[in-house]
Amino acid sequence: MLKTLIEAFALISTWEVIIAMFAASVYGLVIGSLPGLSATMATALLVPVTFYLSPIAAIATIVAASSMAIFSGDIPGALLRIPGTPASAAYADEAYAMTRKGQAELALGAGVWFSAVGGIAGVLSLMILAPPLAEIALSFSTFEYFWLALLGLMCATLVARSSPVKAIAGMFLGLLVSCVGIENPGGVPRFTFGLTDLFGGIEPIPALVGVFAVAQVMRAMLTPEPPPLPRRKFGSIMAGQWKLTKKYHWQMTRGNIVGIIIGVLPGAGADMAAWVSYAMSKRFSKEPEKFGTGHVEGLVEAGASNNASIASGWVPSLLFGIPGDTIAAIAIGVLYMKGLNPGPTLFTEKASSMYAIYLMFIIANILMIPLGIAMIRVAAYILLAPRSAIMPIIMLCCAVGSFAIGNNMFGVVTVAAFGIIGYVMEANGYPVAAMVLGIVMGTMVEQAFVTSLIKSDGSILPFFERPVAAILAAMAIGALLWPVMLWAWRKVKPVRTGVAATSR
Amino acid sequence: MRLPDSVTGSFLVVLGTAAAYGGWLLPPVPGQPVGPNVFPLVIGIGLALCGLAIVFGIGHTFEEAEELIPLEDGQTAAAPPPQGKLYALRALLPPALLLFYVVSADRLGFIITAAIMVYVTSTALGAKWKLALPLAALSPFAIHLIFGKLLRVPLPAGLLPTPW
Repeated sequence: MLKTLIEAFALISTWEVIIAMFAASVYGLVIGSLPGLSATMATALLVPVTFYLSPIAAIATIVAASSMAIFSGDIPGALLRIPGTPASAAYADEAYAMTRKGQAELALGAGVWFSAVGGIAGVLSLMILAPPLAEIALSFSTFEYFWLALLGLMCATLVARSSPVKAIAGMFLGLLVSCVGIENPGGVPRFTFGLTDLFGGIEPIPALVGVFAVAQVMRAMLTPEPPPLPRRKFGSIMAGQWKLTKKYHWQMTRGNIVGIIIGVLPGAGADMAAWVSYAMSKRFSKEPEKFGTGHVEGLVEAGASNNASIASGWVPSLLFGIPGDTIAAIAIGVLYMKGLNPGPTLFTEKASSMYAIYLMFIIANILMIPLGIAMIRVAAYILLAPRSAIMPIIMLCCAVGSFAIGNNMFGVVTVAAFGIIGYVMEANGYPVAAMVLGIVMGTMVEQAFVTSLIKSDGSILPFFERPVAAILAAMAIGALLWPVMLWAWRKVKPVRTGVAATSR
Repeated sequence: MRLPDSVTGSFLVVLGTAAAYGGWLLPPVPGQPVGPNVFPLVIGIGLALCGLAIVFGIGHTFEEAEELIPLEDGQTAAAPPPQGKLYALRALLPPALLLFYVVSADRLGFIITAAIMVYVTSTALGAKWKLALPLAALSPFAIHLIFGKLLRVPLPAGLLPTPW
């Protein structure tokens, strides 16, 4: 244990890792603070760069950039009422109300402080949850993996803020994309239409860049530019945060726990964590009437929640290769690329790398406090950059980055195609995150499914015979039927009240 | 680009059926009951069923209307952009530019292609030439420095090789 910890320290105390982490932190803070550029997009654009880094440095950049971007989305939320990332949307109104009351420092300070605390709580959950779960996961067969993957996909459709039917359709689309290529049980070209470029399948990373970055540039073409940030002088940012921590320690803990749980659920990430926690805070508050008028309580809970979900999203990713959120989906791609294939054995064979990931999360969250304060002070200048100067650079990064992944132009075509797909899906209420999950998990789902079918000789029964498999199966089927039941219940309820009204 | 549910749903039905049929045609693994054909078959059927459900409006009640954040009284709303019939097609500009990059990067070289992409995107987003021109002149070199020089991505030199 101590030896692995020292090894982990040695892994991260190289100049490459330190510089990569610092640069990625600044990058994450800047991208997160710009409205319309989300944390997922920041991470996706980072992937081509990670190709050229050592495994630990590559993960360091993702860890640092994603944690910072989720916090810095609070800055334009508080100052402009425009959330920088979707994860800050839940409480942007509240934070802006505080700014109007002259409490911008308190709102932003709470953002930094409780984000850092939440982030560290998330890492602790990763450290505590992952190893025992790995023990259990070692005894999993393909049946359990199949149901687990299915459960993950179903969770993603359940938490989508859209029609569950459309979410399931999006998930199927993603799975269909993963079918392309010759990497299938028979090794035959499937859906390649005779194009050699498609033989290797559609790479998840260019698809993600297209869906999250190009689609965003496409949306920017049709939406008006956000107003510039008024320049203001800030007082002490951390003043009063300790008092808040003592006053709202219960809310903070609840936010951390909710964030951790939502992070672990596949497909649900920081934005969902913030919405749930803000709603919860309002529901259980002693003074709910103050919410919406610039009350810090909801900010504390939701800020602690969204950053906690970032680290705990890595739990299912590292253990099973099932991403906890879209950022973790990108991280999984990088892990595979770097030879750290997700799976329970990662915790025994590459224990020092795992400890290095924990340490980097902790360092990133501590680093967030000074860098975050600096970022708040210079935000007014960074937000002066007009969209027409940022989006072209994003476009160039998309083109060059997707080319760099395989050094071939087909990557750029993929990015363009998925930009259109992502844009059309989003515009029509199909959740993009569900498709992304399908693309990332497709190969794994198919392998588990087909291997299980071969083992069971085409029979369905063995899918339910092992006890853990049966429990997972029940949960997955329950998740599938849940929207149906909810829909049926909604259909029945108005009829009943109608009958009650006439009988009276 | 908000299309009626019946259009997107029907598209999914067609796509799902095609995928299931395509999967059906794939050769099985000799001596095995299942092969590369099963998964597309299952997905295709699922997708087609979802498409049907969407056509019939099932699950529509779950969709939440997009929340528009109203502007505060202190801020003045930006003038609504001119909305012609072709206005919505502007959204297709970014993917079109990426395809332009694919076609011409090898011939024109990275610097020239990138400069054109930056200039067009920037102007389309409302930048004056005073911003767009220097941006188009400088940013390709910066990107080339990072990706080409530091990360050793073999970017095409084309007509205008970089000085390094």
